[in-house]
Amino acid sequence: MAEQRESTDIQFAVIGSAGDGTIAAGDILKRAMAGLGYKVIAFDIYPAEIRGFGKCISRVRVTTEQAYSLKRHSDVLVSLDDSYAIPHVGEVCDFGAVIYEASPIARQPEGGHITAHIRPTQLPYGLNQREISERATNAARSRNIVVLGYLAGLYDIDPQAFRDVIADKFRSKAAIVTTSNTAAFDAAYEVGKTVFKLDQGSLGEPVHAREGETATMMTGNGAIVRGCMDAGLDTFFGYPITPATTILERLAAELPKHGGRVLQTEDEISAISATIGAGYTGARAATATSGPGLALMAEMLGLGVMGEIPSVVFVSQRGGPSTGLPTKTEQSDLNIAVFGGAGDAQRIVLAPTNVDGCYRTAGKAFEMAEKYQTPVVVLLDLYLSNRYETVVPPAKNPFAPSMNKGLDAWRGEGAYQRYQKTDDHVSPRAVPGDEGGMHTVTGLEHSEFGKPSDLPENHMAMSAKRHEKLKAALTHPDFTICKRFGDEGPVDVGILGWGSTFGEILEAMFAAQAAGIRCSAMKVVMLSPLPEQQIVSFMDDCGAVLVPELNYEGQLANLISGALGRPVTRLNRVTGAPMQVEEILAEIRRLAQAKAA
Amino acid sequence: MAEPTHNVIIGNGSAGNGAAITLRERDPDSRITIITMGSLPFYNRYDLPRVFRGCDDWREILVHPLAYYDDNRITLRRNSRVTDVDGRSRSITFAHNEVMHYDQLLVCAGGRGYLPEELSDYYGLMHGFHSFEAAITTRRALPEGGTVVMLGGDMIGLDLARTLIDVGYRVALLANEYTFWPHRIDADERGGFIAALEHMGIEVVDGMRPVAVEEGAAGTPARRVVFDDGGSLDGDVVMPFYGLVPTAEFMLRSGVDIERGLLVDPQLHTTDPHIWAAGDVCQIWSAADNEYRFYYGWTNVRQMGEVAARNVTGTNEPFEGVDDERLHIGKDGHILSPFWEH
Ligand SMILES: Cc1cc2nc3c(=O)[nH]c(=O)nc-3n(C[C@H](O)[C@H](O)[C@H](O)COP(=O)(O)OP(=O)(O)OC[C@H]3O[C@@H](n4cnc5c(N)ncnc54)[C@H](O)[C@@H]3O)c2cc1C
Repeated sequence: MAEQRESTDIQFAVIGSAGDGTIAAGDILKRAMAGLGYKVIAFDIYPAEIRGFGKCISRVRVTTEQAYSLKRHSDVLVSLDDSYAIPHVGEVCDFGAVIYEASPIARQPEGGHITAHIRPTQLPYGLNQREISERATNAARSRNIVVLGYLAGLYDIDPQAFRDVIADKFRSKAAIVTTSNTAAFDAAYEVGKTVFKLDQGSLGEPVHAREGETATMMTGNGAIVRGCMDAGLDTFFGYPITPATTILERLAAELPKHGGRVLQTEDEISAISATIGAGYTGARAATATSGPGLALMAEMLGLGVMGEIPSVVFVSQRGGPSTGLPTKTEQSDLNIAVFGGAGDAQRIVLAPTNVDGCYRTAGKAFEMAEKYQTPVVVLLDLYLSNRYETVVPPAKNPFAPSMNKGLDAWRGEGAYQRYQKTDDHVSPRAVPGDEGGMHTVTGLEHSEFGKPSDLPENHMAMSAKRHEKLKAALTHPDFTICKRFGDEGPVDVGILGWGSTFGEILEAMFAAQAAGIRCSAMKVVMLSPLPEQQIVSFMDDCGAVLVPELNYEGQLANLISGALGRPVTRLNRVTGAPMQVEEILAEIRRLAQAKAA
Repeated sequence: MAEPTHNVIIGNGSAGNGAAITLRERDPDSRITIITMGSLPFYNRYDLPRVFRGCDDWREILVHPLAYYDDNRITLRRNSRVTDVDGRSRSITFAHNEVMHYDQLLVCAGGRGYLPEELSDYYGLMHGFHSFEAAITTRRALPEGGTVVMLGGDMIGLDLARTLIDVGYRVALLANEYTFWPHRIDADERGGFIAALEHMGIEVVDGMRPVAVEEGAAGTPARRVVFDDGGSLDGDVVMPFYGLVPTAEFMLRSGVDIERGLLVDPQLHTTDPHIWAAGDVCQIWSAADNEYRFYYGWTNVRQMGEVAARNVTGTNEPFEGVDDERLHIGKDGHILSPFWEH
């Protein structure tokens, strides 16, 4: 039983109450595993309330091969609080382990202890969490570290990787905090090492990054921040809102160190106004918000479109409408991102599908905003914003420092025309201070000089200009606007997806392929303008097309069937949780069977 | 709607499982819970010698497929040690501090290996065979072709000895009055049976009293058994086999009568109207012997579980034990026991 596994795919779920150190335990676990060279995807769930008690879950999937999403079933559940963990016992796979407090102090009513709920197919591991913590540290607080020590012992994981992360985590605290937590870890490690293992052997060897590369753990929001920094963001204006707040927080800590500025405005309207204002001056400027904030920003985005002013808006979606479900994930702001606002206000909308994509998309968003003189909306969602993945940052900064078509490109005669008609529909853009670049900017429809004009031919021409210039974004250098995965050529089922759900789509597609179904999946990263040609040729190959989305209306499905007039099969969920791989797989199977019949 | 009757069985061995399925057959609507201290579902203890033939996976010795519990709506509570039973409130307390109510309780808690007081300090230096986990741990401690020193013997140990010798280990047996437990051997037969053991390949050391177990010195096997006369015997592992004693401590405050085991009438009813007992944990009243007595062996134990369950569900039938305690020597000169015929 204790043989070395070739490859590893093991998902841990640590569940406890706020105050148990659940999220901290998950954090140390994922960092230790990433440090050892494993690939990690992790996602934490905590209570909606900012203060107080409530359920916390930290799920960490550790693999040797690339994985794309969390699994529905965890292999190991660690309970720091049975009352919260009990409803999740059913999520543990067959022969998965359930680790729990063996000696709770409080008297439990019948069924109050987790052993009442462990299925015959699951493996129970009772651990004296409190006792070990108290013996090692004189306090019960380190129970979360105790369970980590036990896990390391049980799964034969190098304890030093954990000790290093523990030391790093508590670096800013008194030295005793690190020593006592390490003592708790070590004590439990010995217990885990010697306990009789009912099943699993040790984990497979991790696949280390290629020479010269270092893998690090990042969240989607963390990657956005890094992308902003590498793209040379100058100014950031933000107003806090879950799940986008951490972008503001991290930039506030980072950007000033590099000469940039961060301002917390009084609301979202100010934030977008200031961003557009900064963009107007030639700065690389951005803001970040969620659906309710984007609704407030819609008006000013229209100004950005009309004034052809670069700006970047990061939108991390949560359940809506209105205040909605602030701490639950959803993909229901596609409509407002693409269409929100008055008039024909087309802008660029991008949606990365994983943490690495967040980095690239953030940086490229600044290039595009500048190159095509437009607002760019980058859509994330809570699941992607908060989920951790191991990523290998590029050795060289991949972003162009400036893509502005400046006054040097002005070829006209006479007075400068800010909105001059050009072949690529992008006009030379003067910024304040450019000599000879004085011009008018207005939200009114305007002439090439920027002067208000409601002449019918002018409005026709300017509307066309604002739309046509964006088409070039479909071939923006070094950026993947959409990509096909899986089987080449004709397939039974094709899956079209966007945003964070694409991870689950890929896993479902691989499972379907393994079950003998010919299928492929296409991620659509650029949602406006839509890569119609690529989508059409993908759909031409597919017997049936499935569009799984975390929204009720089928917003991408509507976009595709509306723009392309092609029927698709929708799969929509608004549970507040990520889409389940199994749900997508079941739909793929159904469609494949229907086709075979 | 009235709550279904909660039938609780403490013990996940032959008696407890025989009782559970009988209860299910006779009372389809009741709630049935089996409680065990162990972490595994019901497996065949008689199959444990297979561990020394290379069986590494407990799934290979399970008595039922894992779906059995769901199929029969039996809740299995593992890693759940009962510390107390209160007959008046009809409640059970677990070591993990949970309290469970029962309507009818069947105690099938079996027995555990007896260890003479004088050796109890050395428990940590000995290896066990009472569970799958213990058997695996023992095997891992044994080098290839290594030596097992068995203290006592008993039919459980001798069964293991047969396998150990068959797969190439050495077995040195310190024979004493427990060697043929639970068989009763007349003094004049003993020499013949000891000779049969030697014929089976067991190295018998008779008449020596072990008083200590020590770690072996560097360069010698891992353990040394010291005798009262100062002599000693080396081995890689030392395993005590002194028969079984009932596991009944957690019943001390239950209100039922206990001698060594739980005292039951032939219908396996204890002195509490809501508590029955079956298997190695109970002493059954025998009118013929005019005493409470134990019935060992797998046929008796399973039957006890079934009889107790039938009586829980309304019959009043006595347990009729198989009392075949004779030991034989077969044509090949090896010992034969009904205990081993499973
Ligand atoms: C290794 C071994 C090999 C054997 N080989 C043979 C053989 O070859 N032939 C033969 O006839 N007999 C053999 N026996 C004896 C035979 O196994 C027993 O007679 C029989 O198992 C007794 O069954 P039982 O159901 O009464 O109890 P057991 O099988 O002993 O089961 C007792 C159950 O009670 C549970 N329990 C005990 N106390 C508590 C508590 N406080 N809280 C919760 N749960 C508790 C235990 O966890 C266990 O599940 C062997 C015994 C052992 C240990």
